[in-house]
Amino acid sequence: MNEKPILVIDGIEKSFPGVKALIDVSLDLRQGEVHAVCGENGAGKSTLMKIICGVYQPDGGNMILNGEDYSIQNPNDAYARGIAIIYQESSLFPELTVLENIFMGHEMQKPITPLLKMIKINDYPSMRRRASAIFERLGMDIDLDAIVSNLGVATKQMIEIAKALTFDSPILILDEPTAALTSKEVDTLFGTIRKLKTEGHSMLYISHRLDEIFEVCDRVTVLRDGQFIKTEDVAKTNRDKLVTWMVGRNLDTLYPKIEVDIGDVIFEARGLNQEGILNNIDFNLRKGEILGIAGLAGAGRTELALAVCGLTKLDSGELYLNNTKVSFPNYRSAQKHGVDYISEDRKTFGLVLEMSVKVNLTQKLQPKISNIFGIIRRNEEDLYTEDSIKKMDIKTPDSDFIVENLSGGNQQKVSVAKALVIDPQILILDEPTRGVDVGAKSELHRIISTLASEGRSIILISSDLPEILGMCDRVFVMKEGRMAGEVMRGEMSQEKILGMAL
Amino acid sequence: MSLIKKPKLTREGLLAIIVAAFILFLSLTTNFSSKSGIYSFMLDVSPTMVAAIGLSMIIFTGNIDISAGTISGFVAYTAGALVKAGAPMIIFVPAAILVGTLLAGLNGYLTVKFKVPSIVVTLAMNMVHVGFYATFLPQSGWIENLGPRFTWFGRARLFGIIPYTFLVAVVVAAIFIFIMAYSKFGKKLYAVGGNVQSAVYSGINPDRIVIKVFFIEGFLIGISALLRALTRNEVMPSMFIGRELFFISAALVGGVSIFGGSGKITGAVLGAMFVYLITIAMIYLGFQDYYQFALQGIIILIAVFITVADFSNWKKKRLKASEGAV
Amino acid sequence: MSTFKKKSFTSYLSHQTILVIALFVVVMIFGIIEPVFFKPRVFFDVFAIVGEIGLMALGLTFVITTGGIDLGVGYNLQMSGIVFGLTWATTQNLALAIAFTLVTGTLGGFFNGLIISRTRIPSLVTTLATMYLYRGLSMIIAGSNNYAGFPDVLQKISTTRLFGFLPVQFIYLLVLFFILDFIYERGVLGRNLKGMGFNENAVIYSGVNTKKILLGIYTFLGLLCGMAAIVYLGRFSAAKTSMGDNMNFEVITAVLLGGTSTMGGIGSMRGTLIGIIIIGVLKKGFSLLNFSGNIYNFTLGLILILSLLLFSVMEEKKKVSSRKI
Repeated sequence: MNEKPILVIDGIEKSFPGVKALIDVSLDLRQGEVHAVCGENGAGKSTLMKIICGVYQPDGGNMILNGEDYSIQNPNDAYARGIAIIYQESSLFPELTVLENIFMGHEMQKPITPLLKMIKINDYPSMRRRASAIFERLGMDIDLDAIVSNLGVATKQMIEIAKALTFDSPILILDEPTAALTSKEVDTLFGTIRKLKTEGHSMLYISHRLDEIFEVCDRVTVLRDGQFIKTEDVAKTNRDKLVTWMVGRNLDTLYPKIEVDIGDVIFEARGLNQEGILNNIDFNLRKGEILGIAGLAGAGRTELALAVCGLTKLDSGELYLNNTKVSFPNYRSAQKHGVDYISEDRKTFGLVLEMSVKVNLTQKLQPKISNIFGIIRRNEEDLYTEDSIKKMDIKTPDSDFIVENLSGGNQQKVSVAKALVIDPQILILDEPTRGVDVGAKSELHRIISTLASEGRSIILISSDLPEILGMCDRVFVMKEGRMAGEVMRGEMSQEKILGMAL
Repeated sequence: MSLIKKPKLTREGLLAIIVAAFILFLSLTTNFSSKSGIYSFMLDVSPTMVAAIGLSMIIFTGNIDISAGTISGFVAYTAGALVKAGAPMIIFVPAAILVGTLLAGLNGYLTVKFKVPSIVVTLAMNMVHVGFYATFLPQSGWIENLGPRFTWFGRARLFGIIPYTFLVAVVVAAIFIFIMAYSKFGKKLYAVGGNVQSAVYSGINPDRIVIKVFFIEGFLIGISALLRALTRNEVMPSMFIGRELFFISAALVGGVSIFGGSGKITGAVLGAMFVYLITIAMIYLGFQDYYQFALQGIIILIAVFITVADFSNWKKKRLKASEGAV
Repeated sequence: MSTFKKKSFTSYLSHQTILVIALFVVVMIFGIIEPVFFKPRVFFDVFAIVGEIGLMALGLTFVITTGGIDLGVGYNLQMSGIVFGLTWATTQNLALAIAFTLVTGTLGGFFNGLIISRTRIPSLVTTLATMYLYRGLSMIIAGSNNYAGFPDVLQKISTTRLFGFLPVQFIYLLVLFFILDFIYERGVLGRNLKGMGFNENAVIYSGVNTKKILLGIYTFLGLLCGMAAIVYLGRFSAAKTSMGDNMNFEVITAVLLGGTSTMGGIGSMRGTLIGIIIIGVLKKGFSLLNFSGNIYNFTLGLILILSLLLFSVMEEKKKVSSRKI
């Protein structure tokens, strides 16, 4: 690793109307290093990356690339100057082929004929050769003509990386590249990162998962509330220190599990089948228990949850609640029986972001708080809303506040509170802490523990193995739509769970 | 990993087979394959082919133009009025096409600058155009006795069977098939329609692309309107009212996804042929004109249903969830 | 998280204020140019001529709030009206004719709703297609016939003037307005419609059967088209295949003018009512001035475009002032 910085960011400022997103942020990236940038949600990481990539323009400060002034107007300038980004959200075009995707916006071209040099057309043979070479370098075999929507999440992530590599950029920015990946895929990705590093690429690596920082990064820069806190060699720091810098205070524990006396079986599923998705699944759930569901992405965990609570139809299978056979023809009937589900994706499925806290909180309560003509009884609605805001400690000025303007953690709390207002006995939480920062994560875990200690039963779907180990009384591992195994709390280990999932 | 794309039966391929089968069927059962039958089919299909290409490009970006028919009316009127004033072809053709380009460009500009959905803008424009014909154009824009200076091109034939207008349509189709496959611009259309955010991340300016594509559509609408107008000795702007339905259904039948981001020009061209073949078949079968309204509606529904069936495949997981909520 | 900013309702209010001012200005202009406009008998014509447009516009507000649209309400009215004519001509039974008309309109809406809610074909394309389908069906049913000679009772139930000036069709409209406005603002349905306009998935994942709602609102709109057809026939006493040609656009304009957003989620029944009255004033004013229907259409198109631009600019301002933190 070279000590000389290749990219220097100095005193960057950026405000949006009403908020200062970045205040005097500085950072230097050295040749051939993997430099982690971490901080809680809203700390300004993504804004900083978008400034480096030309999506936003900074209000102040300057950037120097290879000793030259680096001021750019749009993403194309960034690519031209040798900086490529792999975005957090998928930036692929689902209906186009792999080849079209990785060269989108910067297709290789050649003159239409040697005589007419002015008119250029896309040079597919060259693009194919180039793409093949890149995928070969990444150790991947892929059909360049495959339509992207037909590919898996991990493959898409590799395509994003390949897309960034087509720019031949010495600097790569990876924004939460592992968010949607499973442990095995993460390992492959890390292999690629190490390889790129030895080839001399410098990388900025943004992640919520602290373990990853210790695994692949050389140095780490911490941001908090838009301010620069510290840059440190990863070797000279540890997990607790990082968390303290990020949160600004000491966290007691990330997994505040409360020991609960686990009761009798309250819910049982027998022989659940859904063609091509779920294959003969049996499981049971006890009162006060937190049951984890682990497995790779695409193993059918979310699908199982959706089927159990009536959001999708089962081909066959039986559900028993308190030893009585039940069936949920639709989601509302599951809710009536005290079974509820909280989606992994609060922006798409969890909340209507553009509407008020109140409307969101009482969305599942509608039948209860309205009269026979479907008109809402406002007093009752207000009671429920105020109660739930207090209980969950949602930080909002009032109940008519638009959810979109709340912070991510508070939005997630609204999404959980929305399920709790109907007082479910069985609650299925799907990746409740994905994309949530450390502080909010710890708080959500405390809420989950409290719910279980109140005698509710929880099903916790999670790809975060430390979370499963820290929170669950029992874990049920899924693989390819089947149940691959079951582990009790005493016997749990990451290797064991992973072994079953793979 | 092979460097050569493997051939497989695409939606366009399937449509081509259907169109071919249809032509064969009509030839065997009617006098479609006669000289006049083939001539009139080529003559009729040309304007729709060209306009369907324009509409497809708009739809690729996730927009639509409901005023394509009424813009055609202005194009035809401009050409007619200029001919009456003694302008030669070298003047009236470009001028008329320019009118189409500018009117569609205005739609694009309003859509982008004010972030109003194109469907509403163009619907309102449709109304403005129709009102304009009747209110401001002399005799509602009706011009007759234009004479051979106007009609010679529209009525000219190659080898006595192929109308020049069809040759124009084929050349336009070839050019745009090529552009969509071999230019950066072509790929950008799909990008903007497929995922705007990602398009921005790829360094594409979606607003600029959308405005551009409206101008191009206007240009093609201009050509299309002339291909139709030049075959007649008179122009009447209101003749074009409702034509957008044919253009849109040709594109949709051709597999252009109404959601934007996918589809092929080849499909739109075949779609235009299909729509006409159906119409011709109806006429041979002796159905009244007004059955075609109903039929056109049904064709659109079926075509889009097939596309949506594919689309739902793409979003299988998400849709599954919503479908369960019965 | 630094400061909270409340999304203000001022722009929303000012929107309706602008509408009321616009309405007032238009009325004054016509009144000054043609003083006869202010005679009660004439002025209340404004409310008489918006009966059928108004009924459909109220129903369409529901649909547009969900982010959908119905391009073909006028042709549904046409089809229903033709069915009335045919039934009356063959049976001379008014009750039966009215029943068939309402059933036809409802079926027209139901078919739209069925396709939109089951297949997820966008409402834009669905109604574009069915609009031509219904128009074609009207022509097929009617052939070259025009139906006329309807009984006086029909005229009575749809065009009587209460106290000699207040058009009964406007009373129907007002009653419906009060019910729908209450549902829209205070009801579970209104809330879910807005929620669906913003994010249908979140509403589904709250346990709401959005398919049923979609089917319901399009069907209801169809029923209103049937009712509108009866009001229309009461006024004109003739069913022909040109009836309702212009209404698709008038109805959509009324709703959008009222501030309901085609993107879904935002809207108001009150805005729609004002939009309906503005259209009535323009229509009556233009006919008093002996302007042709084409000038009216032209103006309506321009007004719609201008209002959309104005609202879009206002919306943009609102967004900047309450930007996400």
